Amino acid sequence: MLDFHGIVFAYRTAPALGELVSYRTAASLPFCGRYRLIDFSLSSLMNAGIRDVGVIMQRDYQSLLDHLGSGKPWDMSRKSRGLRILPPFGLPEYHKGDYAGTMEALNAVAAYVRDIPQQHVVLLLGDLAANIDLSPILEQHLRVGAPITAICSEHTPRSARNRYVADENGFVKSARYDVQGEGEGYASLEGYVIEKQTLLSMMARADERNEYRFHRGGIDDYLAGGGKMALAIHRGYAEIIRSVDDYYSASRDMLAPAKRREMFPQERPVRTKSQEGVSTYYGENASVSGSLVADNCIIEGELKDCILFSGVRVGKGAKLENCILFRDTVVGDGARLNAVIADKRCKIAPDTVLTGSEKLPIVIGKGKSL
Amino acid sequence: MKKTCIAMLLAGGQGSRLYALTQHAAKPSVPFGGKYRIIDFPLSNCANSGIDTVGVLTQYRPLQLNSYIGNGQPWDLDVAEGGAYILPPYLGANEQGSWFTGTANAIYQNISFIEHYNPENVLILSGDHIYKMNYAKMLREHIEKDAACTISVLQVSMEEATRFGIMNLGADGYVCKFEEKPKQPKSDLASMGVYIFNWPKLRQYLIEDEADPNSSKDFGKNIIPKMLAAGEKLWPYRFDGYWRDVGTITSLWDANMDMLSTTQINLFDPAWPIASRSAVCPPHYTGKDACIVHSIVTEGCEIDGDVENSVLSSSVRVEKGAKVLYSVLMPGAVGEEGATVEYAIIGENTVIGRGAHVGAQPDGSEGWGVATCGPDLHIRPGASVPASAMIYTSEEV
Repeated sequence: MLDFHGIVFAYRTAPALGELVSYRTAASLPFCGRYRLIDFSLSSLMNAGIRDVGVIMQRDYQSLLDHLGSGKPWDMSRKSRGLRILPPFGLPEYHKGDYAGTMEALNAVAAYVRDIPQQHVVLLLGDLAANIDLSPILEQHLRVGAPITAICSEHTPRSARNRYVADENGFVKSARYDVQGEGEGYASLEGYVIEKQTLLSMMARADERNEYRFHRGGIDDYLAGGGKMALAIHRGYAEIIRSVDDYYSASRDMLAPAKRREMFPQERPVRTKSQEGVSTYYGENASVSGSLVADNCIIEGELKDCILFSGVRVGKGAKLENCILFRDTVVGDGARLNAVIADKRCKIAPDTVLTGSEKLPIVIGKGKSL
Repeated sequence: MKKTCIAMLLAGGQGSRLYALTQHAAKPSVPFGGKYRIIDFPLSNCANSGIDTVGVLTQYRPLQLNSYIGNGQPWDLDVAEGGAYILPPYLGANEQGSWFTGTANAIYQNISFIEHYNPENVLILSGDHIYKMNYAKMLREHIEKDAACTISVLQVSMEEATRFGIMNLGADGYVCKFEEKPKQPKSDLASMGVYIFNWPKLRQYLIEDEADPNSSKDFGKNIIPKMLAAGEKLWPYRFDGYWRDVGTITSLWDANMDMLSTTQINLFDPAWPIASRSAVCPPHYTGKDACIVHSIVTEGCEIDGDVENSVLSSSVRVEKGAKVLYSVLMPGAVGEEGATVEYAIIGENTVIGRGAHVGAQPDGSEGWGVATCGPDLHIRPGASVPASAMIYTSEEV
C-alpha cells in the first residue's frame, strides 16, 4: 500500500476572482471547457496512486460537493476511506470568520489528520492549474528522507508569491514570501509532501503561538528549528488562479497546443465528473478556429480563440472572439462578443454587442440575461 | 423479489454484414453517431423506461462489449436489486449447454437467470437498432390488451415491406398472421424485433420449441408463429418515431448521416438522454486553419483540416490540409496531412496516411458505395482506396 495521503485545500477563494466565485469556491471554478480546477490536483493524486484524500472546505461549497460526489471519477470512492469532504467541524464556537490561514484550516480538521493511517501527507491547492507528476516526487521524498518536500515550479506562475532557495544539496536554505515575479530560487506551488508527525507538530505549534499562516506560522518555525525541507521541481504548466486576470490568461494558455499537452499528457489523464452528452454540432454556416469546444454544443455562428463548455448555443451570424462561455449559455443570432466570460446559463440577446479587452475581460454573472 | 418486467438484449449476433468493422468486436459495440456505440440506444431506452434489470446475451467477440457494459453504471443500471448482466453461453453440469443456436435458444439457455428475477414480463431487444423508445408505454399496452406477446411495429412503405417481418391484423386489432419477408405483403406493419412476452407463457413456448428438432429456435420464424397457431393474443404496438437497423455498411453510414439533423432523431432531448461510457477527454480543439461545416465533433478531437457533412467520434485527428467529407470517423481515427476521406467509414484508431485518398463521390454507377477501413489499420501515404472498398488489413492497399 502506498504510504501517502492527500489533502486538498479548497477553503480559500481569492476575492479578485470577483463574480466568478460569487457562489462557488475557486476550486470548483470551471476550467478548460469541461473541468473544475480541483480536478487537476485530484487527478495528480490519483495518477500517483493516492486514493485517500481529504478536501478541506469552509463556505460556498455546494457546487464543489455536487462536483465531487463520492469521488468516483478519481477512483476515490472506496470501501473504507477514499475521498472525504472536510467542512469545518473542529472550529471554536466564537470563530465565525474565514480561516486565518492554512494552519487553522488544518487544525479545524485536526481529528481527521490525526486519524490518517499513512505516514506521509501530500498537501495541494484546490485552485492550482497544473498536472503534477507526483510519483517521482514521492519517490524523491522517501529517498532524500527530509520530513518535508516542497513542490516548486520551473517557471514562475503569475500568482506565485513565495520562493524557496536551495543549497547545493537541494535543501531549502531560505524562503522569500510575498515577492512578485521571477527571482532567486524556485516559485513555490504551495504543494508539500510532509511526514504526518511533522505536520501534526507544526499544527500544534501554530495553535500555541496563535500564528496560523502556513509559512510564518509553520514553515519558518520549522526551518528555524533546524528542520530540513527538500525541493522538488515540477516542469510542466502551472498557474495558481487567484484573479480574473489569472483565470482568463490561464484559460487562454490552454488554446496553445504545447501548453495543453503539458496539462493533458496521455499518460496522466485528468479526470472529472462525467457528463451525459451528445457530440457538438456545427451548422451549415459555422466557422471555427483556434478554439476549444466541449460536447453538447450547437454552433451556428463564428468562433475565434474561444473556450466553450458543454451545452452552449451560438446563434446564426453571431461572432465570438476571445470568449469563455460556461455551461448552457445561449448566444443569440448576430451577437458580437469580444473578450467576454459568461458564467453558467447566461442568455445573450440577439445582436448584442459586448467588447471587453484582453486585459479586462467582461464577466457576466451566472444566469444573467442581456 | 418480483419484477414487472426485465429486459433481455440479444447482442450475440456476428454482424457479418459489417465485415471489417466487426472483425474484432461484436456489432453492438460498433461506435455510432459520435459519442455512442450502438448498444447505448437500447440500454438507455431501458434505463429511461424504468427497466433496471437487463441481461445482455453475448457470444461473438464479447471482450470489448463486456468491458464496455461493465456494471451498467453509465446507464444508471448499477442498482442493488437488478442491473446489467453479461450472459455468455456456458456449459453446465454434464456438459449441457452450447453456443446460442438462435434468438429463442439464447433466451432458453438463460431461463434460470430470468427465473431469478421471476418477472411477470420479459422484454426482448436487439443490439443493433438506433431508436428512442419508451418501453414503459409498450408494457402498459401489453398489460391492458392482456396479450401473451406484444410486438413493436413500424409502418413502412409497401416496397420496403418485402424486407421485413410483416404483421397482418385481424378485425379486433390483434395480430392474426406473421409473414417473414413476404413477396406480396398484405400489410405495411413491420416488426422492429422488439417484443414483450408474458413470462410464464414465453417460458412454456421456449421449452416446447427447444424440444422441436425442426425449429431454428428463432423468435420471428418459430416462437411467434407457434403462439399464433395456438391462438394466443398477440398485440401490435405501433411505434412512429425514428428507427433504423444498422446491420449493413450502407445503413450504418446512412444512420450516422441522420445524426447531422435533429429532425430525424433529437439526441439533445434532456427528457430522453442516450448515455454512453466514455473516457474523459479534453474538449475538441480546432486549429487556426480548421473548417468545420454541418458536422458533429466529439471531445478529444484535434481538427486542423476541413470537415464537412461528417460524424467524428472522440479523439479523431484531422491534420492540416486533410479533408473529411460525408464520412464517419470512429474513435481515434487519424487523417494525416493532405489525406482525403470521402463517403467512407474509418474504423477505430485507423490512420489514413499523408496524401492518401479513401472513398469517392457517388458517380451514379452501379458499383459505387461507401468505402470502409476496418479498425487499427495504417493506410500508407499516397495510397488510394476506391469507393465500395472493404479494407481488413493494412497490407491490402
